[in-house]
Amino acid sequence: MKKTEIVLILLVAVIIGVIMSLTFNASTYITFADAEKQMGKEFTVIGELNKDRDILFEPRLNLLTFFAVDSLHNERKVYYHDSKPQDFERSEKITMTGFATDTGFVARTILMKCPSKYNEQQHIDQDTLTSPTY
Amino acid sequence: MEFIGEHSLIGNLGQAFISIAFAASLLAAFSFYKSSMNEQLKKIWLPLARASFYTHGASVLGIISCMFIMIYNHYFEYQYVWQHSSLELPTHYMVSCFWEGQEGSFLLWTFWNILLGGILIKKSKSWEPAIMTIVSVIQIFLVSMVLGIEIMGLKLGSSPFVLIRNLEENLGLPWTEMANYLQVVPQFLDGRGLNPLLQNYWMVIHPPILFLGFSLTMIPFAYALVGLWKKQYSKWVNEALPWTYAGIMVLGTGILMGGAWAYEALSFGGFWAWDPVENSSLVPWIILVAAAHLMLIYRAKKAALRTTISLTILAFILIIYSTYLTRSGILGDTSVHAFAGGLASQLLVYLLSFTVVSIVLFLIRLKDIPSNKSEDDSSSREFWVFIASMVLFISAFQITWFTSLPVINKVFGTHMAPPLDAIALYNSWQTPFALLIVFLIGITQYLAYNKTNLRKLFKQIAFSLVLAGVLAVTIAYTVQMWHALYLSLLWATLFAAISNFEYFRKILKGNWKHSGASVAHIGFALVIMGALLSNANKRTISSNDGFIAKDFPSNENILLEKGDTTKMGNYHVLYKSDTLLGINKTYEVEYFNLLEDSSFDYQFTLYPFIQMNEIMGNVAEPATQHFALYDVYSHLTYADTDEHDPNNPYHHESLINIKQGDSVIYNQHFLYLDSLMVNANTTESARALDVMLIANLRMQNMQGGITTTQSIYAVKNNMAQSFPGFIEDGDLKYKFLFDEVNPEAGSIQIKAYEHIDNDKPFIVMKAIIFPYINVLWIGMILMAIGTGIAMIQLFRNKKQISLE
Repeated sequence: MKKTEIVLILLVAVIIGVIMSLTFNASTYITFADAEKQMGKEFTVIGELNKDRDILFEPRLNLLTFFAVDSLHNERKVYYHDSKPQDFERSEKITMTGFATDTGFVARTILMKCPSKYNEQQHIDQDTLTSPTY
Repeated sequence: MEFIGEHSLIGNLGQAFISIAFAASLLAAFSFYKSSMNEQLKKIWLPLARASFYTHGASVLGIISCMFIMIYNHYFEYQYVWQHSSLELPTHYMVSCFWEGQEGSFLLWTFWNILLGGILIKKSKSWEPAIMTIVSVIQIFLVSMVLGIEIMGLKLGSSPFVLIRNLEENLGLPWTEMANYLQVVPQFLDGRGLNPLLQNYWMVIHPPILFLGFSLTMIPFAYALVGLWKKQYSKWVNEALPWTYAGIMVLGTGILMGGAWAYEALSFGGFWAWDPVENSSLVPWIILVAAAHLMLIYRAKKAALRTTISLTILAFILIIYSTYLTRSGILGDTSVHAFAGGLASQLLVYLLSFTVVSIVLFLIRLKDIPSNKSEDDSSSREFWVFIASMVLFISAFQITWFTSLPVINKVFGTHMAPPLDAIALYNSWQTPFALLIVFLIGITQYLAYNKTNLRKLFKQIAFSLVLAGVLAVTIAYTVQMWHALYLSLLWATLFAAISNFEYFRKILKGNWKHSGASVAHIGFALVIMGALLSNANKRTISSNDGFIAKDFPSNENILLEKGDTTKMGNYHVLYKSDTLLGINKTYEVEYFNLLEDSSFDYQFTLYPFIQMNEIMGNVAEPATQHFALYDVYSHLTYADTDEHDPNNPYHHESLINIKQGDSVIYNQHFLYLDSLMVNANTTESARALDVMLIANLRMQNMQGGITTTQSIYAVKNNMAQSFPGFIEDGDLKYKFLFDEVNPEAGSIQIKAYEHIDNDKPFIVMKAIIFPYINVLWIGMILMAIGTGIAMIQLFRNKKQISLE
């Protein structure tokens, strides 16, 4: 089956292409400081929402601003020009795609990792149920 | 200790059913295995095997019934019930509670497997012992996911019958020692409720269908494995074929229903987002389609058996992998809706054992598997179907590889981030694959086995090619889509649809019995066409021109003030009113066309709403106006959902200290206290009234418009009472309350309030036009019907073959 062999070789070639393309195209997760070295270029930063600082959503401006802390504990103000995602305050980790500017990080998209509904519910249990109400 | 109000019986019963179901599946697997050895052992072991499997089935039904009883009667002392349901949940959504959690969804899967197992016991004849051995082993794994027991410190599964007080993290807490904890701890009065996203009719039917699809992939897998095990290398194909088509039909419908749900109820704007959860159910379907076509080729030409076996096995392995991806929490960083959980390692064991066993068995038998040494002609049907299957395989590989990025990171310790624009990346990879596949769909039915007369072939398809070209240009003109790749794909989908219709009309002469392939192929072509046209040409009509950076629009949303008509795309929209109906706050948005004489022509009204959910957060649900050729889809991205007290529509209190004759600036107005009148009443009838103070207030706006009011402060029987004064300035309304007198400062204090309507209520909305999206839904229905016809025909064939 010579033709089949040719097809298989082509197949392997495309598969290698797929694997390579992901490895070479994929940006890596970086920190705010890295993003600031190339201001204006898009990167993906993973951070944690600082819940102690203001999370401000101004619907008339369509602007959400919040503070995120990256893996090196650097905090930056993040500007997100879209509506506030559901359950935003509850998120633990935020994956932000966008670019750095002098005043903060401008996010094009944000994805949140919400704590598992299971875990969260159990936190509620612990907080409220450990001290009996009587 | 006796706990008051706890329904421990139902939980104990359920747990007993779980134990029986597990034990019975072990026994079934063992005795089916024994009876598969030889005819003599079959006589001894088969009755026991069947009885065990039926016992297993009955126990699983018992588990499910117990869960429904618990959910229906709101036994909130149980973790599962508390977490997934609540008192106010309508009965028809209680079904959804059942599968919202991990445990329930594994049980749903188990349930379908039992039904299919029952059919296999009745219908698979000589295959029964071996096939059912594999089914029973799968059941062992599935039931172990809900076992909820600890063996030597190893937690096996998570049971739906766990009491909250018995949860690991609650053990030893003081309240768990109280006999009356259900009465004194307020949290037990009501559950958390069902995730608002799942409170949708699609979510009542989509999961069961998807899981039936999952279950159906088990049957071809089991046949392929038994084929290897029992050295029935070719016979298994005929047995597996109709089931494979059943799987394609049901799984495909389930996936597209998920898309319909996303489109109707979620607000990510579309039916497909290349989300890992979506991808991981699409990939097994693609592989199953490839496997099914190779089976047909094998049946006709006895070729490519090894590939056929591999892909059939792979489809099922990918189903488990899909479950692992979505259920283990590993996707956390990349998926919008990954459900997390702690059963990850158990699922991994499940995945690895099936993979390893399959690979080992395949390698042991590799030399034995008959292979066809002759060369395929490059004009033969078998050659091109093989090519098409390989394209499907690569397409599936690309999706899996990109979706598995978090897994790759974990295994290799890398830190690759998901692509910046995932949807665009997937589309750019998948469009060429789709183009190839759809084009091949258009021609392969006309190809003959062995060798095709190319001149004849060209004659047969020339008409379809030309007609498709004309139609493609016409449609592309209506949406202005001139991107070369998209235009070619549009042409290829039209060609595939037309040529398959022609095949049905001319060659099958309209014979429905054999129309399965034609109808399903037309359906698939239309699905791709609908996806292409609606996605490549979707227009966010709510967007404005603001840009933050190049290619970075700042605003895809439109702000609508109540009562104002605003231009949006070709429409003018009016946010007219909002009403709270149950848990839904609904917003009435009217759409108009602006006529040449500047009058508005009413078109339609959309009611996007917000489902209020205090515990899990409010959810915006879209509203869509369907037209034959396009949809107008809209959802709210912001709305003030606070409810105001209708008896006191004033808020924003401010304190004003003012002297007689003075003025202050208040809310862009000058406020004067013109005079303060003291009215000490001395008449007989009003003796009880001690003193009355009247503040004469004057308010002047920036244009000089003046309004006045009085606020009265009265003391009667040593009780002070204040009567407010109201001022209206155009649409603006204010309330002033004479609050107290400061004799030392010689001033009075006034509390001023603004009417809630002073801030005009507004909503922020996103609206998208999806052209030709109905093509997609029609395609989906045709695909299901076509696969269904093929399946029925294959079941009939199988019967005939076994009779011969």
